[in-house]
Amino acid sequence: MSHLIDGKPGSRHLLMGNEAIARGALEAGVKVAAGYPGTPSSEIIENLASVSADRNLYVEWSVNEKVAMEVTAAASFAGLRSLCVMKQNGVNVASDFLLHLAGSGTRGGIVIVPCDDPGALSSANEGESRHFARLVEIPLLEPGDFQEAKDIIKWAFELSEEVRNPVMVRSVTRLSHASGNVTFGDLPIPDATAYFKHDGPPLDPMQGVMLSYPVAIKHQRQQQKLQQAIKRFEQSPFNTYSGPQDPGLLVIASSACYLYCKEAIHLLGVNKRVGLLKLGTTWPLPARLIERHLTGCEKILVVEEVLPFLEEEVKILAAELARKIGIKTFYGKKDGSLPMVGELNPDLVVAALSNILGVNYEAVPEIYAGRAAELARAAAPVRDLTFCPGCPHRASFWSIHSALQLDNRQGFVCGDIGCYSLAMLPSGYSTLKTLHSMGSGTGLASGFGKLDRYGMAQPAVAVSGDSTFFHAVLPALVNAVHNNSNFLLVVLDNSGTAMTGFQSHPGLPTDAAGNMAPGIDIPTVCEAIGAKVVVCDPFDLQQTQQTMLRLLEDKDSVSVLVLKQICALSPEKKAKKTYEMKVEQTICLGENCGCNRLCTRVFKCPGLNWDKDKRVSRIDEVICAGCGVCASICPAGAITKQEVS
Amino acid sequence: MRVFGSQELFEDVVSHDLCIGCGACVNLCPYYKSYKGKTARIFPCDISKGRCYAYCPKAEVDLDELTKEIWNRPYDGSPLGNYRQILASRAGKKMQKGLFQAGGTVSALVTFALKNSMIDGATLTGREELTPVPHLVTDWQDAAKYASSKFMAAPTLAAVNGAVAKGYNRLGVVATPCQATAVAQMRLNPLADKDFADPVALTIGLFCNWSLGTRQLTELISQKLDIAGIAGMYIPPPPAGIMILETADGRVEIPLSEIKPLIPSTCFICPDMTSEFSDVSVGMLEGRRGWNTLIIRSEKGADLVENADRKGYLETEELPQKTVAHLSRAAGEKKARALRILIRRDLVNNGEGRRSAVRIPPQIVKKILNQS
Repeated sequence: MSHLIDGKPGSRHLLMGNEAIARGALEAGVKVAAGYPGTPSSEIIENLASVSADRNLYVEWSVNEKVAMEVTAAASFAGLRSLCVMKQNGVNVASDFLLHLAGSGTRGGIVIVPCDDPGALSSANEGESRHFARLVEIPLLEPGDFQEAKDIIKWAFELSEEVRNPVMVRSVTRLSHASGNVTFGDLPIPDATAYFKHDGPPLDPMQGVMLSYPVAIKHQRQQQKLQQAIKRFEQSPFNTYSGPQDPGLLVIASSACYLYCKEAIHLLGVNKRVGLLKLGTTWPLPARLIERHLTGCEKILVVEEVLPFLEEEVKILAAELARKIGIKTFYGKKDGSLPMVGELNPDLVVAALSNILGVNYEAVPEIYAGRAAELARAAAPVRDLTFCPGCPHRASFWSIHSALQLDNRQGFVCGDIGCYSLAMLPSGYSTLKTLHSMGSGTGLASGFGKLDRYGMAQPAVAVSGDSTFFHAVLPALVNAVHNNSNFLLVVLDNSGTAMTGFQSHPGLPTDAAGNMAPGIDIPTVCEAIGAKVVVCDPFDLQQTQQTMLRLLEDKDSVSVLVLKQICALSPEKKAKKTYEMKVEQTICLGENCGCNRLCTRVFKCPGLNWDKDKRVSRIDEVICAGCGVCASICPAGAITKQEVS
Repeated sequence: MRVFGSQELFEDVVSHDLCIGCGACVNLCPYYKSYKGKTARIFPCDISKGRCYAYCPKAEVDLDELTKEIWNRPYDGSPLGNYRQILASRAGKKMQKGLFQAGGTVSALVTFALKNSMIDGATLTGREELTPVPHLVTDWQDAAKYASSKFMAAPTLAAVNGAVAKGYNRLGVVATPCQATAVAQMRLNPLADKDFADPVALTIGLFCNWSLGTRQLTELISQKLDIAGIAGMYIPPPPAGIMILETADGRVEIPLSEIKPLIPSTCFICPDMTSEFSDVSVGMLEGRRGWNTLIIRSEKGADLVENADRKGYLETEELPQKTVAHLSRAAGEKKARALRILIRRDLVNNGEGRRSAVRIPPQIVKKILNQS
């Protein structure tokens, strides 16, 4: 039994934000949950999957976010409550369906939870999901702490059923991945019946067809529903105010920034002069509530991540209310009080507040900070972001890089999203020359492969992980084959959605809940599409490189090279070493070899160390995963491998 | 000789498209490798002085220093370099006839040198489909298998480095002028390695006006015929103006006007037509089918020719003075042409810390330019 359903109502638990969101969905009686893994969102679906049998839920890892949205919408149409989870840029993928879903309306409560990643700690972007709520015109909520993360979900389901439309609840990394106290509520009795009524009057939201057509009527109805949402927002318990009656400065904040503001106000000791309006309902804004708070202040600082979304909305309101409330002075992103990129933190809010208020505050004396930074530079070793010891990607990119260099036509690799995105860095031999969204490596290569008529003679290579392959590479591959493009797609199949924690995907024989499921074979799919397919073991460097060189010669078709080797951290591997590795100290010449430390300087596996005293290489037995690859790269043959029996 | 490292080699030679792909930097380390006629740097290396740079015939070649070391005299820019005698030659009666494009002199000399243990191995160039591939030959009976010109830049010296690593120390090398220059630099022990022993016992140089890029030639020819079916290729002397490819179905002729654009630009900075740093140099003999021109340069070369002749592996004749003069004029013209391009591209005698492809004493530069 999971701790999520173990505790009694009223008991307090230390929960990660994502666990709180999952618990909130359970308390709301969610029946169907779907998502695509992506940091910082993955734990929500994982936690729901772990209790799915106990709570009679259907939980799936969908092939991508758009399909996840469709799966959850189906549950809604059949009268069930459903939850759809993704990281920020997943909303981009889901947005086409979401736009139409917002137009058709929904039935059972449907909540979409995007977890944004300000500062791009685990992303290739710091895109924001909030804009999509405004774009497709659905209510947007932002919990400000862990308790709210749970409670707001139930409230969101109720709101969704009132306005008959999806409700977006936006989280961020520091909420999803931090932990706090959460008091449990009741869990409803898990029963429900699914039925999709579709033969009533066509425009009847609960009995007719689910269409966004006729658009004018439906769109107008959608906007009327938003007015209903605003009414609820005016009374929402998730909008709170603390501070004096008429503060000199009003701070408006949402999400994790609320906690940063509380801390900053406390640190500066300005709680008598500064009021803090925390908004949990951030689009559309509750106008009367905002008006009340704007009336009593002259200056307003809006604190949010990343772009000035709230700031703009508040400014629009203030402009509309100017006759009543007078002219205000605004601080935030636009005037440069706070940065418009990256995460915020209490220090940044302290800096903004002390500038506006003219208060001097130095958290750390400048001299101390300078000396601490100097010491850190001198004492802390520089560590690159790198692949794990025994990672198949290191071997794969060694071969991809080597083959492209040998081929010598300035070929390049279009990268994609996964652990292997690290190959843009020296630990992956700086092999990736483009990196964008899921599947776009293959789409770009499909385009590059058509530029021969303009003299382009550089071979294009795309890489894709196994999960990414199903998510968004498939359409790009179909496009390439159909349009007679010419490139090599390398599928780095490590048998799992490794980067986000080994979630299942359509290529694997299990589903999100761990049940048997038909796995779809990538080589067979590629062959059926019409690509030439070769499967290699990336740990066999020579065969992989020779195969790649041969496929790069191909001038008139799309080839797929599947490099299949299970992730070194995979739970199935149980950290078992295939080989016991050794650097023969009599053979390794170290600095006298002329290899210029190929193994530790270039290959860069953390399992290999440079012995600074003896000036030779050695294996770090604790870290070495025993993959055996480094034995094939040492030009002196000094690295040996012995099979572990 | 000014010696730099891998990074400078990449900047000076690879990035400036001066690499001919001779293989001098290959098989020394894990970083430079040869594939399909081109040399590739797989990963950057930051060692400040390397054999890769020291051996390269397109980076900081000091012709005066090299001539002094090899020939014990200053570089004078004479068109044919240091030599004792120029003869006409062909394979002797001990060699099987009919195998050879021209006179078979190279095969005869390599065969004889291997058979008499003057060398412990010979690095020769064969063909896989169209791509020239270096081979280390240790059995004298195999030497003639690699006869005939490939007309393409070949990484032959990769096999020399490979053989040296395996412990061969009396190698025979058949080398084009750029390769012979690299071999001469190898023999100087440029990194002052204390365990160094000159691994090369014999250099047989080839005449060369230019070579062809393997990949470009493959591309061109594969549009005309099946490359796998090529049995032989040769370029008859002027005024024919064609390359002839022999296949099972007969001959295919390609006009030189189609071939010449495939010459790598680095060939145009080469001032050497006759492999001046060899023991003997061998080329076609224009106007006399089945014979070679043979330049004897060193004492060792003279002994080899004399013995091979005496034992029936080689047949030699006097060469008319007119033919020598003609050869000398062609070689002088190549030198002057190359120098003009070297000067135009800022690749010769650069000062102020700037590196050069070649260094030649300034008065010799003037002399060469005035000769032609």
